[in-house]
Amino acid sequence: MSRFLTPAKMGLLTLIELYVEGAVPGECSIDVLSFLTSHLVDSELATPAKCPDFNSRWRRAEATVNLVISIKDFERLLNENASAAPSMRGLWYIFLAKLWAVDSLHALHAFFGRLPSLLSKSKEELRRLAEAGEKTPPADEVGLSRSSPFGTFVRRAHLEFGRLRFHDAAELWKDFVKYRQSTAGHWKRRNPAFSRLSFDNVLLLGQQSWRQDHLVDLASVAYGDMLHHNGNSTDGRTLPVSTDDIARLLEFQVEQIQSMFLSTHPSACLFPRCEYGSRLPVEIRLQLQDLLSDSYMVPSLSHYVSFIDAWRAGDYPTSFDYLHRYFDYTIHHRDRLFYQYALMNLAAIQADFGCYREAVAAMLESVSTARENRDMKCLNFALNWLYQFGRSHPRFVAELEAHSMLGGRESLAFLRDKAKETGMYPLWSSAIWSEAKLVLESGESIATCTELMARSSQVLVERNMVGNFPAQSCLHVALWDRLGLSKLSNISSAVFLRSHRANSSFEDELRVVGRLADSMMAQGQWKTAWNLLDSLDENSLRSWRPKNLWTKYRAMGKLKEAVHAGDADGAGEIVCNLLQSKHDDLEPGLQFAIDMLHIKYLIMRKNLPAAFEKVGRLAKEAQDDGRDVVLGTKLLLTKARLLEAAGRPQKGFSAAIKAANAAWGSRLMALLWQGMGTISAILISLGEFEAAAELLTAVLPRALEWEDVELCGWLYMLLADSEVGKASKYPHIAVDRVECFGKAIQALDKAGRHWLAMGNTKQRGEVLAKKATIARFVGNREASDTYAAHYLALRSEAVKVV
Amino acid sequence: MSLNETEIAELRAELQKAIVQCSERCLYQAAKWAAELLNSIPELPSSNANATPVVVLINADPDEAALEAQEISKYLLAKSFFDCREYDRCAAVFLPDSVLTGILATNDLTSGGPSSGKGKAKATADSNGAALPIISQKSLFLALYAKIMSGEKKKDEDTEMVMGPQDNGVIINKQLLSVSRFLEKWFQGHLNEEGEYPESQGWLEYGMVFAKQKNETQAMKWFIESVHRAPMNWGCWLEMTSLISRIEEFNEVVTQLPQNIMSFMFQLHAHLELYQTGEGLQASLQGLLEIFPTSSFLLTCNALLAYHSKDFVNAEQCFSHLLALHPHRLDALDHYSNILHVMAYRPKLAFLAHLCSSIDKFRPESCVVIGNYYSLLSMHEKAVQYFRRALTLDRSCLSAWTLMGHEYVELKNTHAAIESYRRAVDINRKDYRAWYGLGQTYEVLEMHSYALWYYKKAAGLRPWDNKMWMAVGSCLQKMGRDRDGIKALKRALLADYNSAGSAGESGQPQLDPEILLQIANMYERLGEDEEAKGYMEMCVAQEDGGALGGDGTNLGESMAVHSQSADDSDDEDQGANEGTGVTAATSKARMWLAKFAMREGEHQTAYRLATELCQDGVEVEEAKALIREARSHMDEVKTWPPG
Repeated sequence: MSRFLTPAKMGLLTLIELYVEGAVPGECSIDVLSFLTSHLVDSELATPAKCPDFNSRWRRAEATVNLVISIKDFERLLNENASAAPSMRGLWYIFLAKLWAVDSLHALHAFFGRLPSLLSKSKEELRRLAEAGEKTPPADEVGLSRSSPFGTFVRRAHLEFGRLRFHDAAELWKDFVKYRQSTAGHWKRRNPAFSRLSFDNVLLLGQQSWRQDHLVDLASVAYGDMLHHNGNSTDGRTLPVSTDDIARLLEFQVEQIQSMFLSTHPSACLFPRCEYGSRLPVEIRLQLQDLLSDSYMVPSLSHYVSFIDAWRAGDYPTSFDYLHRYFDYTIHHRDRLFYQYALMNLAAIQADFGCYREAVAAMLESVSTARENRDMKCLNFALNWLYQFGRSHPRFVAELEAHSMLGGRESLAFLRDKAKETGMYPLWSSAIWSEAKLVLESGESIATCTELMARSSQVLVERNMVGNFPAQSCLHVALWDRLGLSKLSNISSAVFLRSHRANSSFEDELRVVGRLADSMMAQGQWKTAWNLLDSLDENSLRSWRPKNLWTKYRAMGKLKEAVHAGDADGAGEIVCNLLQSKHDDLEPGLQFAIDMLHIKYLIMRKNLPAAFEKVGRLAKEAQDDGRDVVLGTKLLLTKARLLEAAGRPQKGFSAAIKAANAAWGSRLMALLWQGMGTISAILISLGEFEAAAELLTAVLPRALEWEDVELCGWLYMLLADSEVGKASKYPHIAVDRVECFGKAIQALDKAGRHWLAMGNTKQRGEVLAKKATIARFVGNREASDTYAAHYLALRSEAVKVV
Repeated sequence: MSLNETEIAELRAELQKAIVQCSERCLYQAAKWAAELLNSIPELPSSNANATPVVVLINADPDEAALEAQEISKYLLAKSFFDCREYDRCAAVFLPDSVLTGILATNDLTSGGPSSGKGKAKATADSNGAALPIISQKSLFLALYAKIMSGEKKKDEDTEMVMGPQDNGVIINKQLLSVSRFLEKWFQGHLNEEGEYPESQGWLEYGMVFAKQKNETQAMKWFIESVHRAPMNWGCWLEMTSLISRIEEFNEVVTQLPQNIMSFMFQLHAHLELYQTGEGLQASLQGLLEIFPTSSFLLTCNALLAYHSKDFVNAEQCFSHLLALHPHRLDALDHYSNILHVMAYRPKLAFLAHLCSSIDKFRPESCVVIGNYYSLLSMHEKAVQYFRRALTLDRSCLSAWTLMGHEYVELKNTHAAIESYRRAVDINRKDYRAWYGLGQTYEVLEMHSYALWYYKKAAGLRPWDNKMWMAVGSCLQKMGRDRDGIKALKRALLADYNSAGSAGESGQPQLDPEILLQIANMYERLGEDEEAKGYMEMCVAQEDGGALGGDGTNLGESMAVHSQSADDSDDEDQGANEGTGVTAATSKARMWLAKFAMREGEHQTAYRLATELCQDGVEVEEAKALIREARSHMDEVKTWPPG
């Protein structure tokens, strides 16, 4: 295998030669030129960055592979398009004639020898020609400029051929014969003198002087067994591929597998990714493996690809093995010290597989090595990583933070300044939005947060760092979520999916989809939610972690559905599974959500002491770790709800007030409405129906904005309760009393509609029961009986379902 | 676990069989392992009788046969070591280092003080003579051969890189001395009994040692002895060929040779090595080919014969046929590539190179073929690289040295070129191309007397090759020795004439106009205008076939003077055959003639010649000037009589 040259490249050269000679007719030249450029110029320019279809990302890799393994691509270009442009067919035969004119190893040498004549003459050469008295080429002759893409390609091909050893040249020749052989049929039609030995002129001429059996012997000695295969099938034989192709494909893979974070950095490929790209599609991976197995000099980057692939596949020992192998092979090739990068990758992989302590140790060593080697970029990256890690796993860096300035605002400020100094703009912007996130999580001023986000966006927009946009819009989604504006947050998610998907890592995409699905579920649109989750790219889900995450999202959705449907056994099973795998999960948010679902399940099972204990434990943890303000508030609310469920709502008063206060302070609107609900429940229990009704009437419109069906259903039920309570204060026949009952029925109707959307039979039953009771109070027996019948039907239905 | 005697004997027999079978299948490491195991069984005196070799040829001499049978296990061990290329270890099986060093030491003593310590030295020698190990000749040969091979290996290792600082040809095989001492002693020991040596192959050994020490007459004596005893040993014949450097020496040797088919082949080979050609050789080759019709060696000889007689087309066909017969055979393909190079058959040479490199790219022959191909493509650096590779693989690869010299000349690296040629000549003094190359290089350096010496060497090796004589002649011319130069060039003409004459009897031989022009120029410088004019005219005459009618006798005479051979006088009357056409040389000659005619006042002739020049389109301006001048003179003449 050669470093650069392959038969496919010879085909490209031939095409260029045809173009220079003016053999390409005008109407086809665009096709031919775009075909050539797509294979010569790097991907970024050649293919549009925004690929609407996910699979099209791999198209370029496929094109390279196809071109390398067969001549069909040329045929497709030149022959099959012939119907569109009839002059193309002529070109195909000229192309074939050129290829078949290379009829011996010497002709191959001659082919490469005449390459420089394709280039336009430099002034120097023209002068020398004039001095030597030779005629200068006519001015209208097309020559390739030396620095044009074609010119550089031609020059490189010429140079590389000069560097080939004879044996390699002979190999190239054999590969070329093989590559060309499949066009023998076409060529035979045009050239009646064609015979079986036309591929080698020496053998063809030898037919006259050598006996047939000797000729066959000789040919088989020179060409090995390739003659017997008739050149058509490529099974089981080596493919002509060059190191250059392989290296390009590998870089492409690394780029695709990792996402674009820090991609402006020269050694970007060495930075480990905390987020995930996707794995290679199976068929492309197989093709690449074929190519790699045929290349006798495997670039060390292929170890890196194997490493990432194993990592993605969740194969911990193999990925370690490959990482070490990669760095062992690279360390002597490069002049710079790469130890810190190895450590960085090591830390990332450790953290990924849950060895947090080792990860921190490795990263700290990486920091100190980078500091020794004055590798600012590596240092900044490592510090950023440590900071992010500290946010999600405070326990492991707690002691570090106490002793040094690692973690917290100081380190962010440090990072921001350093990134600005060293010109690492992606890091700069990410430091700023990390700060914004920090502000958001600690429940500080929303204004500060938006200001920081604006600054980060400015950096992004100025430098057009498309790779960082996804993270930015994720933060937007979070912000609207907290502010209780689900419409806006859904729109942000949709924007992300529509325009930033191509630049984002798959894990980001998955997270956004998960959030969107969650919001759909909250609105009771179960079908839409499931469709969303199922619409994700199957190939990307082959990665271990995204797959895990995706399964969790689905499981949580199912759990919610089961809880609402009252399927306690099914829910129990899912809860068991989720709790088992709780610890291998990185995200504290997700973990917390699972805990909350668990508590819900416990309430459903009426196991209130266990739930209460769990809430207490979680609250303590949250306080210790200094977690997100949302978590604390949610826990307080849950505590109050628990007490309410236990029939002692008044005991939860202080918790509810605290939660409401916190939520108001941090503008956690969704939680505020929930808190208000809890408070009004307490008020109802105290008999303060007027106040409760007033509070609820004020809250409900805002709560409806936060399209959480469950919350609204609950609030409406509370409203109905308070209305009924109010009614009880009026005399038996007062108009107001009737009015109150009417309002209660209305509220119950609305609640019923919400619960129906949610599929919560139990609550629907409660609504019906309450309606029946009210009807009886009012004296409408008929209606009451209907409601009761409905109720009974619902119950029997629910029992059947369960 | 213990085994009784018969069991042990069985075990031995099994192991011996295993060794022989393994080594027959070239499983050398396995054979070695088994041999080591076999020798680790303690020797039992009674087991000798059982230990008759299983497969090995039985020696005719009963004493030797007994010895061989006795030491069969050790022999197998030594042989397996040799197969695994562990030469020193192989030698040590029969001749431990102490024995050899002991012999070396005593001989040093005798040579160091031949007169003073004679008695003492003799005593030690005697005592040491008794210490010579009693082993069969086969084993002895193997041991000594292994010793030499190990010496060669060390020599190659010490020489390091090709043309590197260590590679100056002075490193010798250090084992040669001890081996030759040992053999001397051995022969002394065996001489005493009958005054003659018993039959053995050890003779060959001895000769080789002498050859390496450049003591050629001694070596030849031993070789001749050896081929009498073991005629089928081609290696010995080959060594003899390399010792013979002149045809006279060869004739001397031939008289002492036995008359058998091997000797016949040897004569053929030696003739080829000495670049002899001729009908007789061809006939004997044909005779041999009837016996061995597909022998690749003889077919190669056939091709080389054609090559040496400059019949390239025929040689190419022979080689092509040979290639088709034995497609995997790489031997002598370097010569084939030379032929293709000379004929500039680029595609075919490329194919050949491809073929060689796919058979084995690490054979000196393949490298030479590839180097030749690159040379033909004018990629001289790459060519040098491949020749160097060939030399790294085999330092005695003669053609690679010479060809590398050619490439260095192309690269204008004269010092390296001279060194390469010199090495080629050191390896084989019969290589005229290297001598010629040396001459050329010195000519480039303008050291003509040096060049002349080398050209003379080359011409001595190929006296019938006009190129050599031409070189000698032009060299002499540059040194100002015009008379000698003319002689040499005439010799060149004659060689040309002879070879053309022998090639085909029909047709006037072509004479090289270049040579004729040079001769004429030299005559002019000597002031012999008539001679000069004659040669110039002859030169011009070559354009249309060289038949010059009456003027041709001039050449015939002059050649007859120098050749003294009778077979060239009747060729003159041949008429028109195709000539060389207009060349630079003939045009120059024509211009000279025109000017000469002008001086002599033969304006008509001058006018005609100048017009011809104009027609040919060479030096038109000067010719036109001549025409004008001639016409004006002619006009003068025309107008004169009436006026």
